[in-house]
Amino acid sequence: MATTGTTPDRGDLELQVNAAAEAEQRRQRRFVVRTLFRSPTFLAGLVILLFWIFMAVFSTHVTQSPTNTGGAILASPSGAHWFGTDDLGRDVFARTMAGAHTVLIIAPLATALALLWGGIVGLIAGYHRGLTDDIIMRIVDAFLALPVIITAILIIALLGRSYAVLIVVIGALFTPVVSRTVRSAVIGEREREYVMAARLRGERSAFVMAREILPNITQPIIVEGTVRLGYAVFTAATLSFLGFGLEPPSPDWGLVIASEWSNLQTAPWVVLAPALALASMVVAVNLVADGISSAFSK
Amino acid sequence: MSVVGSQPDQPLPPASLDSRAAALDVRDLMVTFHRRGRDLPVLKGVTLRIEPGEAYGLVGESGCGKTTLAMAAMRYLAASGTSEGRVMVDGQDVSTLSDEALRKWRGGKVAMVYQDPATALSPAMRVGDQLAEVYRYHEGMDKKAALERSLESLRKVAIPDPASTLRRYPFELSGGQQQRVVIAMALSVNPKLLILDEPTTGLDATVEAEILDLIEELQGRINAAILLITHNLGLVRRLCTRVGVLYAGRLVEEGPARDVFTDPRHPYTMGLMRCVPRLGMNKTDAALQTIPGTLPALGEPLEGCVYSARCPMAKPICTRREPDLFAWPSDLPEQGRVAAEALPPDPAAYSPHHAEPLGVGPRHSRCYFASDVPGMPETTPVLASSLEERGAHEGDVLDIENMVRTFRDGAKKLTAVNDVSLSLRRGETFGLVGESGSGKTTLAKCVTGLIAADSGSVVFEDMVLKPTASRRSQDALRAVQMVFQNPDATLNPAWSTRAILTRAVRKLGGARGGSVRAKVDSLSAGVRVEPRFLLQRPTDLSGGQKQRVAIARAFAGDPTLVVCDEPASALDVSVQASILNLLVELQTREQVSYVFISHDLAVVRYISDRIGVMYLAELIEVGSADEVFNPPHHPYTEALLSSIPKLDFDNPGQRIPLRGTMPSLSEPPSGCRFHTRCHRMLGDICEQQEPPVQQASDGHTYKCHIAPAELLAAQTAEGQPTA
Repeated sequence: MATTGTTPDRGDLELQVNAAAEAEQRRQRRFVVRTLFRSPTFLAGLVILLFWIFMAVFSTHVTQSPTNTGGAILASPSGAHWFGTDDLGRDVFARTMAGAHTVLIIAPLATALALLWGGIVGLIAGYHRGLTDDIIMRIVDAFLALPVIITAILIIALLGRSYAVLIVVIGALFTPVVSRTVRSAVIGEREREYVMAARLRGERSAFVMAREILPNITQPIIVEGTVRLGYAVFTAATLSFLGFGLEPPSPDWGLVIASEWSNLQTAPWVVLAPALALASMVVAVNLVADGISSAFSK
Repeated sequence: MSVVGSQPDQPLPPASLDSRAAALDVRDLMVTFHRRGRDLPVLKGVTLRIEPGEAYGLVGESGCGKTTLAMAAMRYLAASGTSEGRVMVDGQDVSTLSDEALRKWRGGKVAMVYQDPATALSPAMRVGDQLAEVYRYHEGMDKKAALERSLESLRKVAIPDPASTLRRYPFELSGGQQQRVVIAMALSVNPKLLILDEPTTGLDATVEAEILDLIEELQGRINAAILLITHNLGLVRRLCTRVGVLYAGRLVEEGPARDVFTDPRHPYTMGLMRCVPRLGMNKTDAALQTIPGTLPALGEPLEGCVYSARCPMAKPICTRREPDLFAWPSDLPEQGRVAAEALPPDPAAYSPHHAEPLGVGPRHSRCYFASDVPGMPETTPVLASSLEERGAHEGDVLDIENMVRTFRDGAKKLTAVNDVSLSLRRGETFGLVGESGSGKTTLAKCVTGLIAADSGSVVFEDMVLKPTASRRSQDALRAVQMVFQNPDATLNPAWSTRAILTRAVRKLGGARGGSVRAKVDSLSAGVRVEPRFLLQRPTDLSGGQKQRVAIARAFAGDPTLVVCDEPASALDVSVQASILNLLVELQTREQVSYVFISHDLAVVRYISDRIGVMYLAELIEVGSADEVFNPPHHPYTEALLSSIPKLDFDNPGQRIPLRGTMPSLSEPPSGCRFHTRCHRMLGDICEQQEPPVQQASDGHTYKCHIAPAELLAAQTAEGQPTA
């Protein structure tokens, strides 16, 4: 940078203007952030989500032990046990709060994997078009035709139950959907003239995809990511419910609902608490997704 | 009458002083948009009045508020805008209408024709149903009667085969026919005011001319007043009796079209008139005048006169207090100036602007120095050097031989470029003209390698270029570059200007290390992009600045040939002139050759040394710019030239209408491809035999059955306009 050859005056001017340009960009970013924080949709979702994140991390410090079997069996909600107790005498409130932990590990990581793989597949298919696109998208279509839960169950049955397997399986199953979104965004960009200019400059395909096109399609990818996150929460819980998620005594919501549903008539709180918790988290993620996509479109 | 400060507190006079209400009466209209937390004033107090039956042209460049005014008149303003002031249409205050009354009123009293006919019509409804809906809604007709009236209305706008058109969907019609349908729809309920917003901007020259003929012919038969919004002064000259010039949300000049165009009395109007190339001008003998500075951004605060920052005549007083819309000729501008100078140098004394015109008269100008405008100083851009000085004697840099490119559309085969051969010398500009679908852009992309030609060869400086860019050597890529049409898409919005140029300098210029930065600086200085813009992203640049950066990018590796595909077409006229001047200057300095594509014949004539005319994928005429634009020339070229709306009041020229519509590329006509539309058709020979290449002079050839001598006689006998 020392060999710029510019006069000090111009350097000063550049700095000033640089500051002004950055200020304008900051202002734009601030505007999006401010719109977000004025959107009741986004705020409601965010508050619920933050609550669950807090609980996922700190629930053992603020509630009773989720594994302590000391209480009465299937007791009604009371001052001592806000949500009552389950068939082993464990505090349902404590277990529900602790249940956020597993979901919040599996869902975001699975979503991240789906975005990574789907992003790569979508970029390649959308940028190359022609035969490459046809082959990739027919494979993607074939994957889309697979029923998510059944496929997931088969793979988990094959590979065994663990966090890693759950994350990889959910991520893989969401990849086709993400790749479709990314592909259509790429197709919108690839005919733009700056991409043609890059081709006339002799840039390699990987450079054009990663450096020219990708930075311009982040908004649809972020929106797709938040929507996928909601589905990932849902899918993880469903797999647990079906017995292909985590193993007892994990307080995972799907698992709890599955193992306690026979008590639904006598002690509904045992099932209702984790069910409502799960619903609140899916709704929260969707509210955040709506808020973000409408702030981008303003 | 005291001139300054006489109006702000005066109540508005009653709406209709004379018994006939004006077709459109806009009083002190202010419209402000709110975007991303900012207030952007678009109209800053506009007053204008259109009498019943009058045709009024509103001109100005982008962002000046033309369309916003139309939207306000239709009460179409989006929720992101607020407006103050009053808009009356035929004596009716638009703001007081209820939702239901508003629906009846739109289409009943006021109708609008939009720029893009394809989006103005519903793609899911048949044309007949869309037209009939107007009659059924506004006149309560039953379906059968409404369809009959629709048929009648299509006849009125001279659509060929109206009965079958009724049964078609909009996408089955050509752009010109779609616009006819939109016009028929607008006129269906006898509106008092017809708003035409850039009605021909997206259309080809010959189609534009047909639509203008239609509007001109309808003017005599309908009793609607017309508000024509356009950036094309030639259009106003043809259709309007009165014209208003809008700049930065203010009306700066107004008056009879003839007076305003022949004797402008505002520096902006003068600047506009000077920066448009007239047909016949060439870069070697006349430089294009430009308007200094750039168009103000939306909502940019302007002190005093809105135009003072760019005005070559501006005096200190102009930035202190904004002039009124003074009557001209009168001594009001002088009085206004004296009164303004007498004001204390205190910002509080800068009274708010006055929207109302001051003084009575047919003409008004918002300038203290209206009497000095005819002597406005000229800018002095560079004239192009002669072809010889540009290195033309060194021989050809580009030879295209028998190039063919076809596309597939389902089972159909479309030949977009059919057996085209041409050559280009060093330092020469080859202009390509022709209507959309003629194959200009496909040809250009085949040359640069963005599209691979099916057959034929591109020989560049004695080496045969590979058909696709990805297979060309880095040196071949460096030497053949391209400047694109759309300034908003040509630069990557995620990159800073410096990053864009740095990458180009590295890849094309082969620069490394410390020399990169110096090269980027000199490159941007060469296209006059100020250093401060290097740090910004494309979204923060104006259209002209973006196009300058795109030109700098193409020149990063010192190219030999630059293909310019409509490089100035998307820009405002004042910006267009500076971009054309820049291209001329770069050519003079770097001896670069251009292939220059444009639909604007005057621009092509100005910038080109030689011109090729394309029709239906074939090159039908090639010659020097001067030869092609003067008889004897191909009948198609003749028709194209006659279709340009000219600014010349005394010699508007005779238009040659083309028959029918452009044939499909998948089934080109037999014999001469132009015979289905040609006004000089000889007979069967044109339908059956492919025309020979006629040699009009050395280097001027065209494909036609008519020999040069006969063509010359025919084309000069009728007093055709020449350039």
